[in-house]
Amino acid sequence: MNIIVCVKQVPEISDVRVNPETGSLVREGVASILNPFCEYALDHAVRLKNSVPDVHITAVSMGPPQAKAVLLRALELGADRGVLVSDRRFAGADTWATALTLAAAVRANQPAFDLVLVGKQAIDGDTAQVGPEMAEILGVPQIMYGVEMELMPNGKRLRVRRESETGYQVLESRLPVLVSASKGETIRRLPSFADILAARAKPMDMITADSLDLSEEQLGLQGSYTQVVKIFPPRAQKECRKLEGLTPALACGEIVSFLKQEKFI
Amino acid sequence: MHEIKSTVEKQIAFSEVTRAEGRECIQSEFLSYLSDESKLSVESCDYIFFPKNEAEVAAVVCEMSRLGIPLTVSGARTGLVGGGVPSKGALMSLERLDRVQALYFNTCAKEWRVQAQCGVSLANIKIMVANKRFSDLESSSDQKLLSALREFRLEPMEYIYPPDPTEMSASLGGTVATNASGARTYRYGPTRDWVRAIRAVLPNGEVLEIPRGKYFASTSGKFTIIDTKGQSRQLHVPDYPMPRTKNTAGFYAAPHMDLIDLFIGSEGMLGIITFIEVALCPHEHKCSLMLFADSDEQAIALVESLRSQSGLQLDMLEFFSQKAIDLLRERQTQETAALGMPPLPEQNVAAVFIELPFDPLAEDMNFARLAEAVERVGLSLDHSWAGYEPRELTRFKVFRHALPETVNHLVAERKRQYPALHKLGTDLAVPDDKLQPMWAVYRQELDRAGLQWLAFGHVGNNHLHINIIPQDPEEMSRGLEIYSSLAAQAVAFGGTVSAEHGIGKLKANFLKEMFSERDIARMKAVKHTLDPQGLLNPGNVFSS
Repeated sequence: MNIIVCVKQVPEISDVRVNPETGSLVREGVASILNPFCEYALDHAVRLKNSVPDVHITAVSMGPPQAKAVLLRALELGADRGVLVSDRRFAGADTWATALTLAAAVRANQPAFDLVLVGKQAIDGDTAQVGPEMAEILGVPQIMYGVEMELMPNGKRLRVRRESETGYQVLESRLPVLVSASKGETIRRLPSFADILAARAKPMDMITADSLDLSEEQLGLQGSYTQVVKIFPPRAQKECRKLEGLTPALACGEIVSFLKQEKFI
Repeated sequence: MHEIKSTVEKQIAFSEVTRAEGRECIQSEFLSYLSDESKLSVESCDYIFFPKNEAEVAAVVCEMSRLGIPLTVSGARTGLVGGGVPSKGALMSLERLDRVQALYFNTCAKEWRVQAQCGVSLANIKIMVANKRFSDLESSSDQKLLSALREFRLEPMEYIYPPDPTEMSASLGGTVATNASGARTYRYGPTRDWVRAIRAVLPNGEVLEIPRGKYFASTSGKFTIIDTKGQSRQLHVPDYPMPRTKNTAGFYAAPHMDLIDLFIGSEGMLGIITFIEVALCPHEHKCSLMLFADSDEQAIALVESLRSQSGLQLDMLEFFSQKAIDLLRERQTQETAALGMPPLPEQNVAAVFIELPFDPLAEDMNFARLAEAVERVGLSLDHSWAGYEPRELTRFKVFRHALPETVNHLVAERKRQYPALHKLGTDLAVPDDKLQPMWAVYRQELDRAGLQWLAFGHVGNNHLHINIIPQDPEEMSRGLEIYSSLAAQAVAFGGTVSAEHGIGKLKANFLKEMFSERDIARMKAVKHTLDPQGLLNPGNVFSS
């Protein structure tokens, strides 16, 4: 079984800061990490590998050369091979151009894939679009927000428990399929030190746009339908109303009325 | 040179110092100042002073001395032995002396140094040094200072201030006065090793400025302090031997010792440290490793193996006994995400936690020596957890701290039935060659007593925190007896009764386990020379 896991390097940010002059994210003093949702996706791949024989995991990342660090992390956590898709011509890619590039990289490196796993979104852009777009481009079914995955006994179908707005759904799909991962109950794995050392000996390939079956017009900014015009942090608002001098029952009533009035409930 | 002159800085009127007065007012509005992390507390005190500079500290000291009012000094109140809790009289909080004053490169020592007031928190120093941003200095008009700051920022190297006591909200002055240490003491030594200069207000209100390497005890073991009136006092350095371990019990003493070392770790008994210069150290990327062993004894053997492995540099070497891991696993069973870690191994395990320099992108990665040390005792690097990203290092740190938190939670539950109950946590350390014998004593004495206990802590320095968790008052009383006998055994092995927490008020009785009456009389003589009225930090170190 060939599993592809798409991974992205993101800044470890809990408090987004934007340089007011350049309009870009301030990355000074911010560490780069493997996007946590990608790590959950990888976790599902490793679970499958531990539960059925002959599973091979390829981690694929599109990014600058320093994104090699997150592929190393993926190799430490259980991936068998890393592929870094890196080229200056990818600069400025929006979600569509990114999905197109990643899909082309998947086709070029592992055309006989059975499962593509992605994080439900990256914590920097938060678009949650690349996964679904990739599924469309690759022409495979997609299941979003997966939290549990199980390969059916015939080895040809995958059962996925996915989060929905009202609870959970359990869906089954034939392979190949693309699944995006939510956090669910996942606690991030810790590799052993032996895993960390062994990862350095695993294969890691770097490919450029030349290896992909894409035209120049499909790459980077040129191939993007959207452009980031401006990045700004949301305006922090703190408006509060304090209920005082009320019995608990009356206070509850007030709160419920407020929530109804504001259409929260 | 063994002679030093004290000076008088600019005079400030005592009336200008911010204060709270009156036992009632203090009890109702300043309650948190009447206790510290040790949970020792008093009902109230007569005054709390909040000086904002050294001159105000001196003004308070002079006035209290004139009126004969005892004065206790507190920093961030993170101490574990009640040193900053006022026993009577007045309290002086140094929290407002919280400015970093300078940063410069010392060309002789070839090291960057930071000068700060005593009230700056370690957490702030850590952040300022890591980010190379010193808000206190950036608005300075001192061009030399600004130039040093620019130079520091342009350096590609990152820096740290190495001392790392668990409580990073501790004040710099507090950590110097108690010679604080932490897990990284294994590699970097305690706070003492990083202090390059101090200024201290003496009980007579005059100030000593003590750079390291200038004032040494004479061949006859004396320092001479000459005040501004020309009167000289002789300080006789005690002649007891120091334990061959890290130690915070009693005044530091050694032949030809540096005067600065007498003040560092003296728990504020000799003077009030107001200004400190510390050295910074280049930062290296690290990897945290939790190595699992099949038993406590195998974990101890692993410690010995790691320590004796040549060419292996570890930053920290910590221990989790099997019972400690059991307790954590129990918590994890109740709440999967409680520890933020994957499930702990199901079989009985103890663990050794290490941190070592690690560059994840290094071309040549060779850890054969580490593997050799681990395999020598029948273990494998396969049975480990490891992480090196900053968030993973933090994850391991949170996990390590989850153990004492879990113990405290358990004790709090039992306190509901027996309010007087508390955990008994030891702070004993022994020399390297006594680690295994001391561990055998712990196991034998505590298992025989049938008490719930576990061990964790700085095994690299042979400094384990044994936590006895009593079920009821009877068990607590037995636990206390065992604690005393363990302390006596540690001393018999050439160790200390207090490796890092200090003596303060809560462990004053233990000083007698370690020092003879003559030794303690020598310490008291040093105290008396500088503080003849005994007004500074009464009740600390020496039991009444």
